[in-house]
Amino acid sequence: MAESWGMIVDLDRCTGCQACVVACQSENNIPINEEEHFNQRRAIQWIRVERYWEGEFPNVRARFVPIFCQHCSDAPCEPVCPVYATYHNSEGLNVQVYNRCIGTRFCANGCPYHARFFNFWEPEWPESLTNQLNPDVTVRSRGIMEKCTFCIQRIRRTKRAATKSEGDSSAETIFANPELERALSPACVNACPTDTLVFGDLFEMLSARRAGERLPKPKNRAQEIVRRELQDAENGRGYRVLEEKGTNPSVIYLSKVDKETVEEAVSHG
Amino acid sequence: MIPGDFQIKKPSGKQMMLLSTLGIGGLAAAVVVVLGLTWVISAWMGTPIIFASEEGPEQPIAFPHTTHVQDLGMDCTFCHREVTKSAQATIPSVGMCMTCHQVVDGSTEAAQAEIEKIRDAYSSGDPIAWVRVHRVPDHVHFVHDAHISFFSERDGVAPTAVCSTCHGSVGSMEKVRQVRTLKMSDCVDCHRDNGAPTDCTTCHY
Repeated sequence: MAESWGMIVDLDRCTGCQACVVACQSENNIPINEEEHFNQRRAIQWIRVERYWEGEFPNVRARFVPIFCQHCSDAPCEPVCPVYATYHNSEGLNVQVYNRCIGTRFCANGCPYHARFFNFWEPEWPESLTNQLNPDVTVRSRGIMEKCTFCIQRIRRTKRAATKSEGDSSAETIFANPELERALSPACVNACPTDTLVFGDLFEMLSARRAGERLPKPKNRAQEIVRRELQDAENGRGYRVLEEKGTNPSVIYLSKVDKETVEEAVSHG
Repeated sequence: MIPGDFQIKKPSGKQMMLLSTLGIGGLAAAVVVVLGLTWVISAWMGTPIIFASEEGPEQPIAFPHTTHVQDLGMDCTFCHREVTKSAQATIPSVGMCMTCHQVVDGSTEAAQAEIEKIRDAYSSGDPIAWVRVHRVPDHVHFVHDAHISFFSERDGVAPTAVCSTCHGSVGSMEKVRQVRTLKMSDCVDCHRDNGAPTDCTTCHY
């Protein structure tokens, strides 16, 4: 398994519609967040759309930034866990092992993205929703940490399906087949109506960059974007959230392009 | 006797009684603790020595795997249809039983009574409350399909021949019981022996 799963978030496309949030909540058996939970800052949202206001009335702009676990390569949450319940696996995922977690919450304190959530209560659903729980995802009990997994259950399922239908479970085979790519991509990516989120295996790009070699031919859409950004960093829009913290995240954001700034650049240029 | 020499006072009859009760009681308590610990530890390891039952649980309908597998030679995958396709092995629906049992009656009176139960369930539409024998915790994701296809391809055998690796010879069990501990060590040992991944997120997610 030589993969390095990563995500691209093109903020220029994000409309803040929250479809990703809903998809994530239902895919990953996340209990329903009530008003009380938000007031206590104990709501669980593996992905959330942060909204910022920019400018003064009447020239205000809403900025939307979807934030979820950045699957940092140098994750601050990992070394602090006393029971190794969170670690980096061979696929570049920052994983959380629920049955190991003892709920010290050190990891959540270390996370600069507020991407980790503690189960303060036993999860509950109304009777009408118990049959919509995803059997492929553990229902986390009270007292343990949880966070975005990049829908690892979908990765596992698609790899099994690919082994069966294509005889090979490599990322290259999966991304060559749109149907498999869709099955592999996390729920938020599939739900996004504007194609803001792009999921992919960045392994070849990242390893070439680390080794200082020529960037290889992109093998999926995410690699294409990363390659473009790496080759033309000057004019590119790529950045990573709180990169100065040195967490080395696997999620790359593409900044918003404003009509005005573009016009300005054109008129001055 | 040297004057001033220390002499142990002889206990009185009452004190003797108290001492012996305490001694015997303590011994009994020690035995209970040891037995309890033996049971707890052995249960933790997966095989309770005391109270261990060689028989599986009583099912609402006494379904004889012996008759269906040994006598009739039916394939596991004939009834547990999804086992080669999905994570779950799946228990056949009542309708599946009825494909045969609409016309097939039992040879003995006891068997006929049991088959009658299936027909009642079919006509009333109520599901049968089978008692689950094999269960792994919720945080473990065991995928039947992946294990069956791996072993049947590697050894070149039919999928049915793989089932007994974990389930024992169900065909010879009157009441189905668990034969392996199905604890994590059991899984991991096998994964190591067969070169399967042992990353936590192989099963826990």
